Amino acid sequence: MKTELDMDKIAGGLGAERRGKVSATGGYFGAMQLLAEIEARFRVPAGGGRATDPRWTERRLVPLAPRTLERLEAITAKVREHDGVNVEPMQLAALLLEKTTEQISEDEAKELVRPRRRTSR
Amino acid sequence: MAKKRTKRARERPVLSGGRKSVLVVLFVPSVERDGRTLIDQHHWVDAALEMFGRVFGGATAYPQAKGIWRDDERGGALVKDEPVVVHCYTTPVGIEDSRNLAELGSFCRTMGRQARQGEIGLVIGDEYFAIRGFAEE
Repeated sequence: MKTELDMDKIAGGLGAERRGKVSATGGYFGAMQLLAEIEARFRVPAGGGRATDPRWTERRLVPLAPRTLERLEAITAKVREHDGVNVEPMQLAALLLEKTTEQISEDEAKELVRPRRRTSR
Repeated sequence: MAKKRTKRARERPVLSGGRKSVLVVLFVPSVERDGRTLIDQHHWVDAALEMFGRVFGGATAYPQAKGIWRDDERGGALVKDEPVVVHCYTTPVGIEDSRNLAELGSFCRTMGRQARQGEIGLVIGDEYFAIRGFAEE
């Protein structure tokens, strides 16, 4: 559910004028934002190799559903074809994972990992 | 074999502050209001990131973009600019906190005054806010 913000309070606290609504929501998964994020963060390592975010120093094996991997491959292929930006499917996964974990709340995380009861037949 | 987590570690909240669902967008200009004099944009981008990091917990500065702004107080002169857009995600509670708003507003006014701007633009959620009148302070 979308939280209503008190825009008058925000304007007052900032000492700013409210100038009206903007149409773009700035949703994180917008293609342009994703591209800009990749271009801003990815660097070629000093010793050569594929461009990556230098802060990604940890490596783990993450099990995925084939459908998820296919989706990641399709998005990265489209990004490469249309914008010439080289990003690997699992680099895209790391970026999305990072953003989601930054945005999820404690309660949502608990809800997500809470064991669900199966309905008996 | 994986180590067992202690009870203390399990109880410690790992995700404090709720859902970061509010996007704050700040435009860091590249030129003064005259449209010609360059400002120290790197300094202001670094300062903005530092402020967002300290106050709201983080932010991302995107590569330079191209922009334009109509200065109605100077006969509608068009100011061409190459702004850096800074995105910061925060919580509804975080953005409505009066201390946080005061810090964000103060930063915008300082940048507006020192970089000789006509206006500093901020988008919070789905609304545009304009901060003006820096010279008066």
